[in-house]
Amino acid sequence: GPGVLTRTLLNAGVKVVALESNLAFLPNLQSLENSLDGQLKVIYGDFFRLDPLVAGKLKPPAMCSDKLFETMGVAAVPWRADVPVKIFGILPQKKERNTLWRLLFALYECSSIYRYGRVELNIFISEKEYKVLTAKPGEGRAYQALTVLWQVGCEIQLLHMEPWSSFLTNLKSGGLAVAKSTWLPNDHLCLVRLTPRQNLFTEGLKPTSSSTFIFMVKQCFAKPRSRLTDRLKSWSLHNGGKLLRALEIPKNAETRNLYPEDYRRLFEALQNSNMLTETWFHDEVLESIRNINI
Amino acid sequence: MELLEVLKARVKQLQASNVPEVMVNKAELAPLGNDGYQDPLRKVVAASPVEEQPTPRGMDESPAWPRSWAEKLKKEMYIRQLKVERNLSIAASQLPLERKAKAKAKAERKAKAKAKAERKAKAKAKAERKAKAKAKAERKAKAKAKAERKAKAEAEAKAEREAKPKAEAKAEAEAKAKAEAKAERKVKAKAEGKKSLKSPKANGAAAWSQSHAGSCRVYAHGKPRVAAVKKSVKVQKPQRVLENKDSSQYKILQQTIQSNLECFLFLQQPEEAERFLLLYHSSPAKRRHLNVDAYNIVMRSWARKGCLRRIDRLFSMLESVGLQPSLDSYAAALECMGRNQLSAKDVQRCLQQLKNDGFHVDELFQKCLFEKDEKEKVLRAIRIVQPDYQLPPPPNPQTCKSSLLQDFYSKEKMVSYPKLDFSVQELQELFQQQLEMELNTTVTIKSVESAKPLPPQAIKARNLLATLRSQWHSSILQALQKSKRSMSRLKMASGSNILYPYLYLLPDEEYVGIMLQILNTLSPQGESVAVLARELGSKVYNRYITQRKLCSRQLEKVQEVYEDYIHLLAKDSQPVEYLPREYWEKLVAEAGFGPSLNLKDCSWPYVLLMRLGMHLLEILVQAVKVPRNILNPRLEPRLIPVLYHIYSFRSRWQVGLIKPHPVFSQIVSDAAETMLTFNSSAIPMLCPPVPWTSPHFGAFVLNDTRLMRFVDGAIQHQLLLEQCPPVNLHPVLDALNQLGNCAWKINQPVLDIIISIFNDKGNEKLDIPPPISEAPQPPAAPSNSSTWNKSQKHEFLLCKKKAAEMHSLRMDALYKLSIANYVRDKVFWFPHNMDFRGRTYPCPPYFNHLGNDVTRAILLFAEGRPLGPKGLDWLKIHLINLTGLKKKNALQERLEYANEIMEEILDSADYPLTGRKWWMNTDEPWQALACCMEIAKASRSPDPAAYISHFPVHQDGSCNGLQHYAALGRDLIGAISVNLMPCNVPQDVYSAVAQQVEEFRKKDADQGVKIAQVLQGFVSRKVVKQTVMTVVYGVTRYGGRLQMEKRLKEIEEFPEEYLWEASHYLVKQVFNGIKEMFSATRDIQKWLTESAKLIAQSGQTVEWITPLGLPIVQPYYRSKSTVLNCSMQNLSVKSSNSNQKPDTVKQKNAFPPNFIHSLDSTHMMLTALHCLRQGLTFVSVHDCYWTHALTVDVMNQICRQQFVALHSEKILQDLSKFMLEKYCRYSLPGGKPPPLSVLPTLIPSPGGGCAQMLTGCVICLGVALEGSCASFLTDVKNKVPGRETRDLWQNKLMEQLSNVPKTGEFNLKNVMDSTYFFS
Repeated sequence: GPGVLTRTLLNAGVKVVALESNLAFLPNLQSLENSLDGQLKVIYGDFFRLDPLVAGKLKPPAMCSDKLFETMGVAAVPWRADVPVKIFGILPQKKERNTLWRLLFALYECSSIYRYGRVELNIFISEKEYKVLTAKPGEGRAYQALTVLWQVGCEIQLLHMEPWSSFLTNLKSGGLAVAKSTWLPNDHLCLVRLTPRQNLFTEGLKPTSSSTFIFMVKQCFAKPRSRLTDRLKSWSLHNGGKLLRALEIPKNAETRNLYPEDYRRLFEALQNSNMLTETWFHDEVLESIRNINI
Repeated sequence: MELLEVLKARVKQLQASNVPEVMVNKAELAPLGNDGYQDPLRKVVAASPVEEQPTPRGMDESPAWPRSWAEKLKKEMYIRQLKVERNLSIAASQLPLERKAKAKAKAERKAKAKAKAERKAKAKAKAERKAKAKAKAERKAKAKAKAERKAKAEAEAKAEREAKPKAEAKAEAEAKAKAEAKAERKVKAKAEGKKSLKSPKANGAAAWSQSHAGSCRVYAHGKPRVAAVKKSVKVQKPQRVLENKDSSQYKILQQTIQSNLECFLFLQQPEEAERFLLLYHSSPAKRRHLNVDAYNIVMRSWARKGCLRRIDRLFSMLESVGLQPSLDSYAAALECMGRNQLSAKDVQRCLQQLKNDGFHVDELFQKCLFEKDEKEKVLRAIRIVQPDYQLPPPPNPQTCKSSLLQDFYSKEKMVSYPKLDFSVQELQELFQQQLEMELNTTVTIKSVESAKPLPPQAIKARNLLATLRSQWHSSILQALQKSKRSMSRLKMASGSNILYPYLYLLPDEEYVGIMLQILNTLSPQGESVAVLARELGSKVYNRYITQRKLCSRQLEKVQEVYEDYIHLLAKDSQPVEYLPREYWEKLVAEAGFGPSLNLKDCSWPYVLLMRLGMHLLEILVQAVKVPRNILNPRLEPRLIPVLYHIYSFRSRWQVGLIKPHPVFSQIVSDAAETMLTFNSSAIPMLCPPVPWTSPHFGAFVLNDTRLMRFVDGAIQHQLLLEQCPPVNLHPVLDALNQLGNCAWKINQPVLDIIISIFNDKGNEKLDIPPPISEAPQPPAAPSNSSTWNKSQKHEFLLCKKKAAEMHSLRMDALYKLSIANYVRDKVFWFPHNMDFRGRTYPCPPYFNHLGNDVTRAILLFAEGRPLGPKGLDWLKIHLINLTGLKKKNALQERLEYANEIMEEILDSADYPLTGRKWWMNTDEPWQALACCMEIAKASRSPDPAAYISHFPVHQDGSCNGLQHYAALGRDLIGAISVNLMPCNVPQDVYSAVAQQVEEFRKKDADQGVKIAQVLQGFVSRKVVKQTVMTVVYGVTRYGGRLQMEKRLKEIEEFPEEYLWEASHYLVKQVFNGIKEMFSATRDIQKWLTESAKLIAQSGQTVEWITPLGLPIVQPYYRSKSTVLNCSMQNLSVKSSNSNQKPDTVKQKNAFPPNFIHSLDSTHMMLTALHCLRQGLTFVSVHDCYWTHALTVDVMNQICRQQFVALHSEKILQDLSKFMLEKYCRYSLPGGKPPPLSVLPTLIPSPGGGCAQMLTGCVICLGVALEGSCASFLTDVKNKVPGRETRDLWQNKLMEQLSNVPKTGEFNLKNVMDSTYFFS
């Protein structure tokens, strides 16, 4: 955009690489770049169109993360190392949810930006999505697959809340260009820090198997009021009851009442018992990735 | 301004946030802390003393909750508690604001300022003040208006509240609901109190509502109104929801009740039927769902048992609810009397009452649909008092009066119906074969793959499968019986279970058979739950219908009539001058069957069908298991379900899928079974179809077939057809019968060649799908997929997609070829029905003449005709047409070309797979090959003119939609370009438009328009073709641009950066070009669109009647979906219902194309009927007409005559008249006012402004209301528009509908001489 965020960051004295997807804004930013002594670097590109799955040549502003990191001069670090780079941004309201899902897949697969380590995201998201990310079990509609997966994957901190009314609107009706939300509050834009957990891949969960984990959680939340045992049964998994007993998860627990860590433990137990090795899950998992990446 | 926005948003939110509380009665833990400060009330509540020790809800659900679990929850609760407390401070700061709003409202009402003490808000104090100041000003101005308003009804307040600034709205709500809420609060508080005493382990939900009640008490003095507002919303919301639901679900519920009762009747359980009826009858609320038909069904079930006392009781029940007995009620009573041989006095009394109710005894036999021996019993009863009573004579057959068919129906010109090449005896046998097949409901046939050699592992796999199947059979049976038992127990307990009777209609074995059939046909990719449920449900329904036809003796009657009917068609019987329908009706009348050949309407509501299907699907998924180690003995032996249930996520929604376990898929694929099972309706009929005589009767002998196809759940078409006078449908029925009576046979040499390629490796170029073994293999073994990189994953997905596509293509071809192979030595028929626009289709779904090149190539007319003098030439021209080569050349040139390449043709015919294969490089290779063979045979016969040919020759309309448009608008240039005008060579409309566009482009380019210059050399026929073609079918500029973009993208040299601009420019020019050439056409299109828009906006659906008298309604509604709660998953079922509002966009956009389709179908039917009169064989694939080579010339002439005749009718004027009568009745004397859903879109404001002003006006309502404006708005709010408003709306519609577009100069008669009109 016009560079409000960029200027704020520059004023804070950090080195900034700015991605601009709109050609109209580019010249202004470039002149800003020129006026500063290397503190700012402007790149024509769209952060939210990084590494699309479609094959073929990438057309700017879509871009490839390898190239971006190369330009930024940031090298990959091991997962357990410190945060290699901090990213600031505002999620486009229209595809907020989709973007959150895509980032999540990248995080669990250690692909795209997360190939370079535990990249810290500082993003503005709508309050309703923030509520989803930080919901607790049993919190009705707020507690979703997205909740579980982000909470397992990241530490989530709220840095700031800004009422929507602080923003100008360009709608003819004069209304706010914000999606209506029936079930969750949505009065603010929230600045949220998402720091990937150091211990994300320490135990059973591996970047290679994590898409199955994501898939499992999504399946569980497709009908959040169903019982976990029924879910396991519906996947043709035997021994579900025994497994849950071992995990101290009550037999009649509903999927929406399980804690994020429980899902992680469940997945690890399933993996240890070799129940997920039977091939059928595989195709579905790939399919679900494809659907997200479209 | 922004602040106002914030305020608005907040109130909206407050209203919205009340919803979950209403809906979710089991409030969860969430409300305690999560929702933060935005709902201060909740905060207060949460902190109230009652809430201090909340216990997680889970606790009392499972006492054996493991410790770690419970502890975790406790900890969580503690943290939340802390948060709540922290939030309280925020809440506290918010509270005054809330209170102030209330106070302000109160002050307003009393016109006193009183709320100053509470002005403590910090953050938004300023905003508040501003708003208040405003409100104050308003208040003064409003004082008068308010006094009136106070007295207004509540509904009005609702409407107002929505439009007004929020602060005010609250005040209104508060005022209205206060009294109510207070009373309610008390009750609730009491109730809650009791509850909490009873269950000391209060769960989260109770705690919440308790504390809510508690808070009301606590704050009773301080701020009663806050609670009141909340409550009021609470009270109102659910009611409104309920009402809406009722109105749209009403019909469905009524239908459900009736089909339930029908089931009990069928099961001969009058007690159950009555018990079910009483369930509704005895409750005043539910009673309104019952109509007299429901009572009649129960009466009939008692009548069958001869229990007159029960029927008497039902009569008095009818009376007690104020319902009039109908003819059927008396029929039931009389039947019962007939069974019991009652005294004349009773019968006399009954007949007297019948007369008193305004019925006549004869009507019983003219209108009632009797089953079994009902009719005899009724007659017997009547003859007790009137021993000489004779059945009323059948009504005289009526004749259609349509001017287009005067000749056709005139008795003088009647000719005898063409005979088939079968004797009565033979047809009789064919009928028996067909009947037997339909009685079995399914047919199992050998697939064409059975010719392939069997791989060794197949036998093992087949044995395994057989064993498994017998195990599954018994386990499904067990599960079914178990579920029936538990259901009947449930029924005892709860009084009603909706599915209960539906599981008893068929023998258990049949249900099991249906489920196993589903299992056998499940593809390895799986299938969506909804599709499977629907299939299961409708299979049960179809078998039930068959059973009913058998039990009610309907089949017996049909059989009897059919035996006589075949005399019309058999070669060894007297010629009869009747149409099939007329002859059938005559025979029915002679046999004295009356209307009882029709089955009573007993269709099941779609929702019910789905529910039943879901129930069976759940049983199937639960019951069918396979040992896990069956293919891999190293695994531990354990039973696992064969079917698993999984969700697939599509961008916004999720779809439940049922997939077979890979183990099962493996066995099935190893077994390579070669038998296929089809529903008997999927096979072409083996005897001439039963003629259509009414919307309920025709086509197959037993299989239920609809005259009109429509989407699931839509009932509008059926209703419309029923209301339509039967005589109006005669032309359509006769046309369908004519199409269905065409006998077919298989072109065996072609079929054999196709099967040989199919069983080899297929051939994609020739459209023979290769077997799945030919599918591209994914790059790596799937097990270590996680290590794949992006492109590998991509490739894998592509492979998978390709394999899935190949599988479905292969199966489709397998079905078609196998069915063709099954009937290879037989003569067969395709019964026809139509879609809602009158376009006709053969009923058997897989194999029919509407299919692709492959299927068309293997079909021949069963009847043979000599080629005659010109027949061979027509065959040759047809061949060239099939190649797609000489499209722009005259017929003579095509013929010459065929003669030139005769050598190639003969080579193709003689050595199709080993020769020079000329046929393979044509547009329609298989039909071309078949044609080559026919030409070879004919030309080699000693006298080609005498050669008997069975080969169908096609004549295609050239851009048929535009032909109808051009004729409607009499567009001269347009007419020339679509060949309505005689020309030496065929005209090509696409080239013509391309030329026109090129002209525009040149002009623009010369004037320096950049994009026009860029496009130089790129405007071609190919680029514009798709758009021109689809213009007829209502493509919009948006869609047109996308099409253009696609075409331009295909051109490699075209610079990419101009794509958008160029396509945008081109589509504009194409539309301009068409407008130039078809000026009237565009006007007509616009007129149709605009009319449909206004009609739809008035809350009505667009209806019209074709020139042949077929009534049409566009079935597009704003669909509402009902959610079925099933244990496996919830299913959202779209229900289409006449109570629903029409989908304006669809109604509008679809009207022009639908109207044109209704015209092209009319033209086809007219041609079909007149061909029949001339003794021609005729079938059609929409705008492609088929006949023998001998009769092509005659057919062409009829086709042109009928086109001229059709368009000589005043089609648009008639349409306008019809719509004026239908939609503007109100303006005509004695008319009813239009429905009022019109309001939001159509109200013209009195000052000549526009409807948009409305909102503005209402908002300023409080400021100044004077004179007419005030009364106008009051009208609006009362939802009763004034005379003036309604008139304005009516005038607009009337003006639109009467303003029929002008037409051009084209002389329609020219079509008669146009060679290339259809060619």
